[in-house]
Amino acid sequence: MHEFSLVQGLLKRAEEIASKKDARRVLKITMEIGPFSGVVIDSFVFAFDVLKKDLEVFCDCELEIRQPRPSFYCPQCKKEVELFGTNEKERNFLNNLSSFIARTCPLCKEAILSPRGSDEILILQMEME
Amino acid sequence: MCDTCGCGLTSQKREVVSLNESLLRENDRVAKKNLEHFNNLGAFTLNLISSPGAGKTTLLEKTFEYMPKDLKFAVIEGDIETERDAERIRQKGVHAIQITTGGACHLDANLIHGAIHSLSHKFKEDGLDMVFIENVGNLVCPATFYLGEHKRVVMLSVPEGSDKPAKYPKAFLTSDVFIITKVDLLPYFDFSIDEARKLALSINPKLKIFELSAVSGKGMEEWIDFLLGFLEKKKD
Ligand SMILES: Nc1nc2c(ncn2[C@@H]2O[C@H](COP(=O)(O)OP(=O)(O)OP(=O)(O)O)[C@@H](O)[C@H]2O)c(=O)[nH]1
Ligand SMILES: [Mg+2]
Ligand SMILES: [Zn+2]
Ligand SMILES: [Zn+2]
Repeated sequence: MHEFSLVQGLLKRAEEIASKKDARRVLKITMEIGPFSGVVIDSFVFAFDVLKKDLEVFCDCELEIRQPRPSFYCPQCKKEVELFGTNEKERNFLNNLSSFIARTCPLCKEAILSPRGSDEILILQMEME
Repeated sequence: MCDTCGCGLTSQKREVVSLNESLLRENDRVAKKNLEHFNNLGAFTLNLISSPGAGKTTLLEKTFEYMPKDLKFAVIEGDIETERDAERIRQKGVHAIQITTGGACHLDANLIHGAIHSLSHKFKEDGLDMVFIENVGNLVCPATFYLGEHKRVVMLSVPEGSDKPAKYPKAFLTSDVFIITKVDLLPYFDFSIDEARKLALSINPKLKIFELSAVSGKGMEEWIDFLLGFLEKKKD
C-alpha cells in the first residue's frame, strides 16, 4: 500500500508546478507506470481519488495512466523479444505478470528471457488553467 | 494573469506542460545526499528487504557474532510500531537507531536522512565500517524507494515458497544480492532452491545468491567473507 505515499508525492509535486505556472486548477495528469514498477494501478487510482479531494486545485483533476508494454531480452539471441502481439493478450499480461517470468525464448527455444526496464513511475504531463 | 499584456485579468487558457520526470525524483535526490553522508562516515551500507519474519533481524544478530570485533557497525531499524528489533541488536552490543514509520509499510529516503544525522553525530570521530538498514517487513513497497544504500539485499525464507520471486519481481529486479534464508528447514518444506534461483536470475541475472541458515550457521562464512570483501575494497 505504498500507493498512498506515491500519490501524496505526486500531488505535492503537481501543486508546486501549478503554483509556479500561476494555474488555478489542474485539469489532468498523465502518468506512465511500468508493469514491473510494483505499483498496483487500482490502488493508485483509489488513492488519487481520495487524496485529490483535500486540495482545491485538484478537485476536477482527471488521471490518465499509460502502461507501457514490457520488453524481454534473450541473452543468447542477444536481442529483445516480443512475447505477445494482440491487445487481449497484452491485457492478460498485466493481470498475470508472474506467468511471464522465467519464460523460454520463442526464437532459440533455449535461453530464459529477462524483463528489461519497465519499472519506471513517471509524470508525463499536466494540463492546467 | 493575462500572458500577453500583464493586465491582471485572468485568462482561462488551458496549458499543457510536458514533464517526463520520475515520481521518485525528490526521494532519489535525498537518497543521493544520504549516500554522501554514508561515504563521509566511511560506512558501506546495505538495505535489507524481505517479507515479515523472513529472518532479517536474526541474520544481523548472527552476522555480528561472526564479525571481527574491531569493526564498527550500526543498524537502522525500520518498523511500523515497536522498538523490539532495535533492542535485539543492542543486546549484541551494536548501536541501533529505530525508525517507527507509524503505519507506513516502507522506509523512504527522508526517514533515513533523520537517522543519518544522529549517526554522523555519534560516530564523527571514529567513523563506521558498515551500516545495515533493516527495512519494514514487506516484499513489495520498500523496493520502490532508494535510500542511498550501496547494495540492496532481498531475502526469502524457505517456508515462504520458491515461487515468490515471480510474484514480487520488483524487489528482485532492484536488488544486488538475494539470500535464501532458513535453509535448515528445507527437509520440511517443498521449497525448490533451483526454482527460486532460476526465477530470481531470470528477473535479474546480476544477482549474487546466498543460501544460509542463521540457526545452523550453514552458509554464514560465505556471507561474512562477501561483506568483508567490501571493506577491503574500501581500504584500497
Ligand atoms: N529455522 C530457522 N528459523 C529462523 C532462521 N532465521 C530466523 N528464524 C526465525 O524466524 C522468526 C522471524 O525472524 P526475524 O529475524 O525476527 O525476522 P524479521 O525478518 O526480522 O521479521 P520482521 O522484522 O518482523 O519483518 C524468528 O522466530 C526466528 O527465530 C533460520 O535460519 N532458521
Ligand atoms: Mg526484524
Ligand atoms: Zn505498502
Ligand atoms: Zn533466444
